[in-house]
Amino acid sequence: MSDFKIEYRETENVNVLELKGYLDAHTAPKLEDALQSLLDKERYKIVVNCKHLSYISSAGLGVFMAFIEDVRNNAGDIKLTNMSPKVYNVFDLLGFPLLYEIFKDESEAINKFFEKKR
Amino acid sequence: MKLRRILYLAAILVPLLIVFTIDVIRRNVDIEVGPLSLIRDLLIIGAMILVYLFFETTKASRDQSPTRKLGLILIALIVLVAIGGTVVMAGIEGFDLKGGFLLPLDYGTVFSATFLSVLLGIFSVLVMRVLRDLVLYRRRRWTRRNLLIFIALLLITAGSTIWLDPLETSYLTRILFWLAVVFAIVNSFRLSWIVYLTKREKIFGLIYGFFLFVGFITLNIILRSGIVSKSLLYYSYPLEQFVSLACIFGNIYFGMAFVSTLFHLPTAEAFDRKASEVTSLHNLSRLVTQVFDFNELVETVTSMTLQVCEAKSCWLETIHFLEEETAKVSGNKYSASGNYSVQIVGTKNISQVEIDVLMPTAERTLRDIVLEERRPIAVDDVRRDQRLKLGKKTKTRTGSLVVVPLVSHSGLIGILYATKETEFGFFKDDVEVISAFADQATVAIENSRLIKESLERERLFREMLVAQEMQRKLLPQSLPQFPTLELDATSTAAFEVGGDYYDFAQLDEQRLGIVVGDVSGKGVSAAFYMSEVKGVFQALSRMYPSPKEFLVKANEALASSFDKRSFVSLIYAVVNVTSGELTLARAGHCPMLFIAKDHVEYIRPPGMGMGLGDEAVFANAINEQSVQLNPGDVCVLYTDGITEARRGDDEFGYDRLLECARQSRGNDASAIKEHILESVKSFTDDQPTHDDLTLVVLRWQGNSATNKIDIS
Repeated sequence: MSDFKIEYRETENVNVLELKGYLDAHTAPKLEDALQSLLDKERYKIVVNCKHLSYISSAGLGVFMAFIEDVRNNAGDIKLTNMSPKVYNVFDLLGFPLLYEIFKDESEAINKFFEKKR
Repeated sequence: MKLRRILYLAAILVPLLIVFTIDVIRRNVDIEVGPLSLIRDLLIIGAMILVYLFFETTKASRDQSPTRKLGLILIALIVLVAIGGTVVMAGIEGFDLKGGFLLPLDYGTVFSATFLSVLLGIFSVLVMRVLRDLVLYRRRRWTRRNLLIFIALLLITAGSTIWLDPLETSYLTRILFWLAVVFAIVNSFRLSWIVYLTKREKIFGLIYGFFLFVGFITLNIILRSGIVSKSLLYYSYPLEQFVSLACIFGNIYFGMAFVSTLFHLPTAEAFDRKASEVTSLHNLSRLVTQVFDFNELVETVTSMTLQVCEAKSCWLETIHFLEEETAKVSGNKYSASGNYSVQIVGTKNISQVEIDVLMPTAERTLRDIVLEERRPIAVDDVRRDQRLKLGKKTKTRTGSLVVVPLVSHSGLIGILYATKETEFGFFKDDVEVISAFADQATVAIENSRLIKESLERERLFREMLVAQEMQRKLLPQSLPQFPTLELDATSTAAFEVGGDYYDFAQLDEQRLGIVVGDVSGKGVSAAFYMSEVKGVFQALSRMYPSPKEFLVKANEALASSFDKRSFVSLIYAVVNVTSGELTLARAGHCPMLFIAKDHVEYIRPPGMGMGLGDEAVFANAINEQSVQLNPGDVCVLYTDGITEARRGDDEFGYDRLLECARQSRGNDASAIKEHILESVKSFTDDQPTHDDLTLVVLRWQGNSATNKIDIS
């Protein structure tokens, strides 16, 4: 049940975390560690791809809240992409679309980082 | 005790003085020898027995170490030779031979011969006493018997000469004498005490043994020489025999002891190490009692590491392997055995700087090698080692190094390092000992960890019980009663404490506030947040009867007390119990399920979870929505425990809830509540849900209901 994995890749200086499986209170620390280690290395341009994320609980959502302030204070952002309708619904119920940029596609999110620069 | 010893000394002196008096008289007057000579001999024998008994009173000497005993004999020998030599040089003129008897030439000779003989007698008794202790040090089957035979032969030989004249010899005495010598040799093989000496003691033993051997040879030569031999024979034939045999025994025994010590010396170090190893392994049992305090355990492990291999310094690291994902993301150094973090938990005689010199972080260190190979590694010369790559001019006080992994059944948990200042300081058996020790330490550390974990679990369990109790008390104990409104509510906590919350508040005569919420997090922290939400709800709902206004104010009130990652979702409905108008506002919570006569739907006014955005964003996000209830209309407020109830990978979901509502249309509030709970239960196959389940069902009875109640 608590199968959760994070794949990491770096595209054009943007750090992409691809989440897989169930993100709940038990697996949230994994995402927390991953985000923390990015911040430790001063990498603030973060895209979280939720394509294979099948479930997210309030604890999982809390992880994003924990880091967003730090990231934005350092001229970065956490952008969310590729959500399944079900997962999007969870984000949407809580009003996350008002707080985070959510994209259909990962590349859109990555491009967005560069648009801002120009 | 002291008095007893003085009495002994007095008792020894009396017969000796009598003998001396007899000798002086005999020098002057020619007396019949026969019976007097016998009495003389018996007095001397009696005195020697008293000397033996006197030595027996000094019990403490029995527990002395063998080396100290050797030292004692050596000192006695030196004193004897010094005094005896002086006396012989100064006082003895010589003896006349007269009919098989020795006649002293002057009084000085009488005195000197007496003094010398008594001295030799006392010395011989002391030698026998010490040799007895040494021979019986580790008793075997025949040890005691052989010694007793020797002593018996010694005494019989001496006794057999009582009837002989000083210059007479008998075959019997000679046979007995040589038999005694044979048994002296037999007893001289009982040298087991040497084995148990430490290396230092063996070196001392060797030196003492050498001097004793040489000393006794000298003594024996002197004893055979004319003047001393004559003095003794003149004084007492039995004593002469006794002294001779005792000194021969001493000579053989200490000669053997010297040779044996010499042969034991090369293995002395190994024996010492084995001995300390045994002690250390014995001490390991102490580790078991220390598992309750990790720091204490580490202290013991490190200090015992120094002991077991006589290392100069040592340190202990615990290794934590990181999760694969974290490892990849963080891009830390990645060894074949996985990514890990190191924590030095205990050091002895070594600084962090020194450790850093030996274990540079940048390169592939010995640590990585040990992690991969999981076996101990010994570095004979740290400056020239290929694996360490330190370079010959590295400034370090360490010469050699042993690195031992602590491998428990659950994997590698730590690494133990021991260093010596010299190169090639650790031998193969050192590494083996330290590995054996490390195995024991691993078990202790692992146990310590398990105990800590189980205590932690126990603590969490108690905490959970407290939180559950708290949560239960925070929920309303009874439902508000209204003639126009039928209400039912339920909240079941999952196996752990969740953060579900529902509550009611009578805002004024017309309006009832109903709130359902979910606090993120679990356990005591969730229960605390929940109590805060309850406080805010009960206080603010009456002040701000508009749902939106209430949520905005509540968000402001709560924002400061939540940490970054915590938030609350609430749905808040205000019902006018007279008109049936329901106003709804939603702060990030699940939408309200509305069951009308002809349709079912979710009512989902826009909103945002509390504690997520700043106050202005939150206020903008929230919008109220109103519904005019008709009699029979049902509103269901619930938490995500319902929609997210899981069976395998499948969720109960919004569609099933909607279908459920459709089926139970027309039923009363309790029946709808039961139906939804039943559906969820049968969906999850009665598996315990992983989240709380909370339901509040409201059925608008309208004015018809009022009439009904009026009638009844």
